[in-house]
Amino acid sequence: MGRAQFVVRRTLQLIVTLWAVATALFLLFRSMPGDPTTYIVDPSLSGEARERLIESYGLNEPLHVQYMIYIQDVATLSFGQSFHSNRAVRDIIALYLPRTLLLMLTAFFFAYLIGITVGIIAGWRRNSDFERRSVFIALIARSFPDFWVGLIVLWIFGAWLDVIPMSGMRSGGIQYDSYWNVELWLDTIWHLIAPAAVLGFYLMGYPLLLMRNSMLEVLSQDFIEVCRARGLKERSIMFKHAARNALLPIVTAGAVALGYAVGGSVLIETVFGWPGMGREMVNAVLRRDYPVAQGTFFIFAMTVILLNFIADLAYGFLDPRVTYD
Amino acid sequence: MTTLLDVDDLEVYYETEDGPAQAVDGVSFSVEEGETLGIVGESGCGKTTLAKAIIGILPHNGYVNAGRIQFRGENLTELSDEQRRRRKWEEISMIPQSAMNGLDPVYTIREQINETIETHRPGTDRVESNRIVDEMFDLVGLDPDRADEYPHQFSGGMRQRAMIAMALSLDPSLILADEPTTALDVIMQDQILNRIEGMQDEVESSMLVITHDVSVVAETCDRVIVMYAGQIAEEGPVEEIFGNPYHPYTIGLKRAFPDIRKSNQDLMSIAGHPPELVDPPSGCRFAERCPLATEVCRTEYPPEMEFGELRTYCHHADEIDEEFRPVADRAETWEQTEAAEAKNAKATEATK
Repeated sequence: MGRAQFVVRRTLQLIVTLWAVATALFLLFRSMPGDPTTYIVDPSLSGEARERLIESYGLNEPLHVQYMIYIQDVATLSFGQSFHSNRAVRDIIALYLPRTLLLMLTAFFFAYLIGITVGIIAGWRRNSDFERRSVFIALIARSFPDFWVGLIVLWIFGAWLDVIPMSGMRSGGIQYDSYWNVELWLDTIWHLIAPAAVLGFYLMGYPLLLMRNSMLEVLSQDFIEVCRARGLKERSIMFKHAARNALLPIVTAGAVALGYAVGGSVLIETVFGWPGMGREMVNAVLRRDYPVAQGTFFIFAMTVILLNFIADLAYGFLDPRVTYD
Repeated sequence: MTTLLDVDDLEVYYETEDGPAQAVDGVSFSVEEGETLGIVGESGCGKTTLAKAIIGILPHNGYVNAGRIQFRGENLTELSDEQRRRRKWEEISMIPQSAMNGLDPVYTIREQINETIETHRPGTDRVESNRIVDEMFDLVGLDPDRADEYPHQFSGGMRQRAMIAMALSLDPSLILADEPTTALDVIMQDQILNRIEGMQDEVESSMLVITHDVSVVAETCDRVIVMYAGQIAEEGPVEEIFGNPYHPYTIGLKRAFPDIRKSNQDLMSIAGHPPELVDPPSGCRFAERCPLATEVCRTEYPPEMEFGELRTYCHHADEIDEEFRPVADRAETWEQTEAAEAKNAKATEATK
């Protein structure tokens, strides 16, 4: 079976998976304790006005009708309207998702860049001080919860040294006429540094340890010895041959980890007051704002599934031994 | 003939938890231009370590403790890493023990041979290096079109041949073949051996063939070194070593291989194991397993004895012709060693 057929088959699987996720989300929120109407309908309204309101949200319909409406919404990625703010869920996601992605992708990019590089060198220089220190740091990074480190960082650098903002994504009162204003971006980056660094530090441990182990395994293989006998340059053996082969498992693990990192943004966004989608999702659940909660959950789930799909494809490009049979 | 490689009193040690293991201990030999030299010996006798030391790819815990490796009059052990690297493959290439896994799985074979050529000869254009790849593939009997495939698309024997093609690509003066046929089935072994023999006719490189398989040596080599426990036991021309050896170990080794002309010959093994290399015996390392061993063998290092073109390291080599050779074929002879007696004593103990 060729690559094209594989893509088609996986895309069909993808659609089925997403449908299952959407259905599970629908049932999950309907079976949770609590009634959305008590949150969104003013108790002082008269009975008739109240029913009209409930009807306008479609909450009077039987479950299966609600489900059909919901699936149609999901299929068009619109997710309906927020119970709470009356805005389209699509607009809410469009507002919050880029913020979360900005934070997550920045942290993720640096975490994997540094983690993989250090992992390569640590594996290459086995039994060196460099290896021992980097493994120690990676274990520290993995063991300290990021929200806890976040609080410490805020306490030291924010409250005490006063070099980072305590919360938020932008300073109040900053003037900007467009999104391409330099000052606006500098201000955003200044707000971004602390949460991205804390998150990046936490995320870094995984690729570092994984890459080191993978390097050790590859370095023990025969072809590395032959590479040395061939008189290739040290750096070429290390990166072009050893690291290139060692990278294969990191790609899969990395894509899955990125999915979870996007979904796991809730804590870090809460600690640093970053107005992202994770925080919005929690608030939506607390408000029984079904459409927003479903929409955000679905986007997170979709991210994980899509990234898995991309990892599968990437593997085929990176490793010539992988066939799509 | 001029001397290409001259190894002089070489010691290669491995760092272990119990102290240095003397994997190669005081080995001297030379390889002439155009000559094929074989090194035989059982597993762990230091032959692969010797090869790795010569090409310069000892593992991290291995090091040259003493001695010289002269290559074209240049002591390789004194060169800097960078100088050494430039001579690898260009001057000395290898067909590794595990040639089947010697190729990087994520690059095509052409890419890997090109990489080797371009590393050593910067400025070689792609057309030229591609031409070399095609030529080498032709030489080893592979279809040049298949050079663009990945190693996993090749069978074991084809990978071995691709490895030989790569070993020849820079036209080196010396090729180390470390167990070139061990991982292959008998038919493939024969093909590869024929290929190596054919190659010897076509290219002028010297070869060092390292193997535990006596038949490989008999088929390809001019001269042979028999190694035992990190040292040379005996050295000489192939016909002499297999026809009329003077070291009891060589005689025993010969007896352990079937001879096609003697139909009902009993194959024998030499009782016991090679000594520990961390703290080896001070005398002859074979003494424990040798039927001729006397007190002097256990305490004193054996002298070099010469018999025509043979070089033998044994205290009793001059007694071989009269006393040992007539009885060497008898199983009882090989029962009279320290190792065999210890084994028998253990067996009797067990039956009691």
